[in-house]
Amino acid sequence: MRNILVFVLFAAMVCWMMFSPIYKHVLIARQAVLQQETDYLLEVGASGSYGYIDSAMMEQSRERLAAFGMQPELVRFEVTADNGLAATDPASPLPRGTGIMLRMSYPYENLFQIDRLIGLDPVSPDSRMRTFGLKMSEYMP
Amino acid sequence: MYKLMLIILMMTVWLSVHFLQTDEEMAMKLLYQGKHALNRAAHAASQQLDPAAMAEGILRIDPDAAERAAAAYLQANLQLDAQGNPLPNSPVRERVNVLVFDVINDDHTFPYTYRSEQYDYEATLQRPGVVLIIHVVYPRAFTLLEPIEWDIKGVSELTVR
Repeated sequence: MRNILVFVLFAAMVCWMMFSPIYKHVLIARQAVLQQETDYLLEVGASGSYGYIDSAMMEQSRERLAAFGMQPELVRFEVTADNGLAATDPASPLPRGTGIMLRMSYPYENLFQIDRLIGLDPVSPDSRMRTFGLKMSEYMP
Repeated sequence: MYKLMLIILMMTVWLSVHFLQTDEEMAMKLLYQGKHALNRAAHAASQQLDPAAMAEGILRIDPDAAERAAAAYLQANLQLDAQGNPLPNSPVRERVNVLVFDVINDDHTFPYTYRSEQYDYEATLQRPGVVLIIHVVYPRAFTLLEPIEWDIKGVSELTVR
């Protein structure tokens, strides 16, 4: 009888301990993948042959993220230049010396729902993980 | 009763290992983020050509412009203020110190091997460039870990096409 009582008392916590590391790991992995994608897009976009990050690059990036199990339509990109020019136009690449700022974000979805088992308020599924980077363009006409 | 004690003991052990692993993963992520920030800062600094020297056909980096560019890119990529202190959404919690900022200019003969005994760093440059070393402290969430600090090192050369 006492064993059953102990089990019932600890069931939620045991469940949380068994499964929450997996959710936390998915969270860390997603953030890392998003950061890696930010770094990659900046590396390509700021290189000598481009000087911009256009929608075709973003589309390819969404496809790569989808391969990691993320939902491509939820990924959000924000590309700006430090001198205020458009950074997404292949027809007018940013010249050398201009910084390209890329911000990417993705919702947390339901990764924190499991924390309700131990009485924590989960982070809202709509709030977003964010990654960012600023790299100087190398493009020379 | 001993089963209850065992459950509590195992939970403590399990939780500690879980926190330790999470913290280590986050530390690795921060190290990479710091390295990328440093690479971009060094890259931006090494592209600051001196226009007056350029007019004479000499490729020379303007040290003042380079220092400003490096600071600006480091601040943007790690979300720091002008003194190097973290802003509220920064991944770091302590001041990021620039330990070394050296401009290797055209007064050296290339290939030039840069050596720093103090920071155990060596790099060979084919063209003028910039050497940058920063000190980053990881904001560990749990005191299970020993403090993690890095001297992140990087070099970038002038890119000319």
